[in-house]
Amino acid sequence: MDKLPNELKQPLVELLLSVADDKFILGHRNADWTGLAPILEEDIAFSSLSQDEISHAIAIYQIAAGLVGSTADKLAYARKPDEYLCAELVELSDEFNWAIAVCRNFFCDHHDYLRLGRLAHSSYVPLAQLAGRLVAEEQIHVQHVDMLLKRLGHGDTESRERMQSALDRLAPLATGLLEPTQGIELLEAKGVYPRIEPAMFERWTEDLRHVAEASELKLQLQAPRAEAIGGRRGRHSDAFASLLDELTEVYRLEPEAAW
Amino acid sequence: MVTQDDILNTLRTIDDPEMPISIVDLGLVEKIELQPSSPACMDVRVKILPTFVGCTALPMIENEIRRCVSALPGVTSVEVQSTYSPPWSVDRITPSGRESLRRYGVTVPEAGEENVGQPPSCPFCGSATVRQESAFGPTRCRMIWYCESCRHPFEHLKRLATTGLIDLSLQRLPETR
Ligand SMILES: [Zn+2]
Repeated sequence: MDKLPNELKQPLVELLLSVADDKFILGHRNADWTGLAPILEEDIAFSSLSQDEISHAIAIYQIAAGLVGSTADKLAYARKPDEYLCAELVELSDEFNWAIAVCRNFFCDHHDYLRLGRLAHSSYVPLAQLAGRLVAEEQIHVQHVDMLLKRLGHGDTESRERMQSALDRLAPLATGLLEPTQGIELLEAKGVYPRIEPAMFERWTEDLRHVAEASELKLQLQAPRAEAIGGRRGRHSDAFASLLDELTEVYRLEPEAAW
Repeated sequence: MVTQDDILNTLRTIDDPEMPISIVDLGLVEKIELQPSSPACMDVRVKILPTFVGCTALPMIENEIRRCVSALPGVTSVEVQSTYSPPWSVDRITPSGRESLRRYGVTVPEAGEENVGQPPSCPFCGSATVRQESAFGPTRCRMIWYCESCRHPFEHLKRLATTGLIDLSLQRLPETR
């Protein structure tokens, strides 16, 4: 379909915002490493990853903006904290702990890869076309983070221990990525967000475990509780409001400015 | 009367803002459509394909297209549309485009699925003794490679997969492979 039936608009907008908000916030978190990454190659990589994530977010905001009669800028910068639908995992400060930064991307990139892969098969044509490109770009992120995990997992004892403790610390938060947005069943039923077999949690866990094992790291993930309510319903960590404040500061100076 | 060829020739004069290659040689131009607006004049629509989603050079390229094409006699209006269908790929870069990039120190993956993952040869000395230094580079479409023979770093364009990334169902029929 080229035109979206009305009853699918709100559910799709929420799904798109969850994807774009994850990318937007993760992109900003990763950008903190520009100039500070442990080696030059990773400085370039993380800067480039950030640019990718923020560019992806803008493109997805544009589709959402078209559906609600807004603009990508307004969606990115002018919502209240509880209107953002990102997962807590992307909000967290990595406190310049490289292991946390790498493991966070590990969980997020694999999840994005599956999510965008599903959207690339969407019955809503404009979205499928965009997602087809996004998933191809995301594939490069996945390959990169997998490489980092393997290298650091096979590093010395300190490196392996740091990676293991980062994985252990993030794992309970990471499953929050899978919290469904409202109305997702309708999108699935109409093929706008086609179902995947085996289902998301299993596919994602399987992909992650495969890489963790090859990196000599252990990974324990509990399926998220169905009743858990978090970022996808606008509930965020305490740190989120101040993060958002910092991130929208320049925009708020002159909201209508063209850059 | 302005023709498709006139417009294509004008587009050939527009270079990518980041590399010495015309947008036509880069394979960005997908379609040129002409609609008569009056007996002697045309409305022009140019469809282009972004290399990467949200490529920052795109707005500049769109402006250049509008500026150059609207300067042609017989053009009433110019509309530039970008589309992801078909997806842009390095395979769209013409042989002369590849050559001008090589001279600039940027290599392009060989066309064709059978060449996926093949390392490039050094753009400076032709050596095959090269290694990837980083999967990322100065812009989102490039990576950094290094030639062990002449000890020059060089850039190599990223090839993105264009099909078959995610199977919605992993349940395969038994013994079909
Ligand atoms: Zn060389």
